[in-house]
Amino acid sequence: MNVLVAALPAFLASAVEFVEALTIVLAVGVTRQWRSTLIGAGAAAVALAAIVGVFGSAIVLLVPIDVLRTVVGGFLVIYGLQWLVKAILRAGGAKAKHDEDAIYAAEVAAMRQEPPVAANGMDWISFTVAFKGVLLEGMEVAFIVVTFGASAGQLGPAILGASLAGLLVVALGIAVHRPLARVPENGLKFMVGLMLTTFGTFWAGEGVGVAWPWSDATLVVLLGVFLVGSLAATRLVQIRLDGAAVARLASAP
Amino acid sequence: MSGPVARYLRSFGAFWYDFLIGDRPELFVGAIAILAVVWAAVQMGLEPGFAGLVLATLVVALAGWSVWRASRPARGR
Repeated sequence: MNVLVAALPAFLASAVEFVEALTIVLAVGVTRQWRSTLIGAGAAAVALAAIVGVFGSAIVLLVPIDVLRTVVGGFLVIYGLQWLVKAILRAGGAKAKHDEDAIYAAEVAAMRQEPPVAANGMDWISFTVAFKGVLLEGMEVAFIVVTFGASAGQLGPAILGASLAGLLVVALGIAVHRPLARVPENGLKFMVGLMLTTFGTFWAGEGVGVAWPWSDATLVVLLGVFLVGSLAATRLVQIRLDGAAVARLASAP
Repeated sequence: MSGPVARYLRSFGAFWYDFLIGDRPELFVGAIAILAVVWAAVQMGLEPGFAGLVLATLVVALAGWSVWRASRPARGR
């Protein structure tokens, strides 16, 4: 159970973030130079692995589990709610959905404004853009892997979950050679937000002195409560926006 | 303070601000406030089982409030 608890959120979050990173890498590689782009993306992946290894090990070895769960639980509630609220707003129509095709087109246009690629050697623009894109998108995954893995005492499965998602996205990217616009990013973000909020509330609650009535089974109850609340909030946003649209039409001259 | 070190520190701070607070600061402040309130309530004798119900309810309320604020239809659109 604990293995799945650590691996699943890491897998889903990693899938979402690496789809976004893939869009940037593809845009840079197609427009400029593949070699430098792949070196940049690879260097960022190595940097992320080092960050997870160093911080994950340090947290697991040095921080007592009670302190870890309180602090990490608090961060997970904050972070999970951010993902969840954004996903609710996107599902309800109050915020634009992530459009990988549009992001890809914008990135390609931006790359075409840059000076031409050198005939030989390293193209540092390709390297930097790919490195930065993968590192920034991957930092969220690293944060989730370290916090979830350490708190559940399952850093290995969390790393494995994130790595599998990364490999899957790369394989799909190689196979289709275009942004993965059909991946239901918002649905995945909704699920990750729910999981982070649920576990964050559970662990932080234990840290501040809450005694959960059904022990670990309370997680299922919390997940159910947050799921129902989120679906209701999505519907309310849709009703609110529909109402506003009707009012605007009615008041139009 | 200026120069590359200051620039680096500013970018570092901006990164973490965006990472943890972003465009929904009420979630950051609200979550910390909720945990502080529940901790204080337990210290003052609130039954720990009931505290869990209070905590979950406050988290749902915070999310609902944030969604409500963010989904306000813009005027004049």
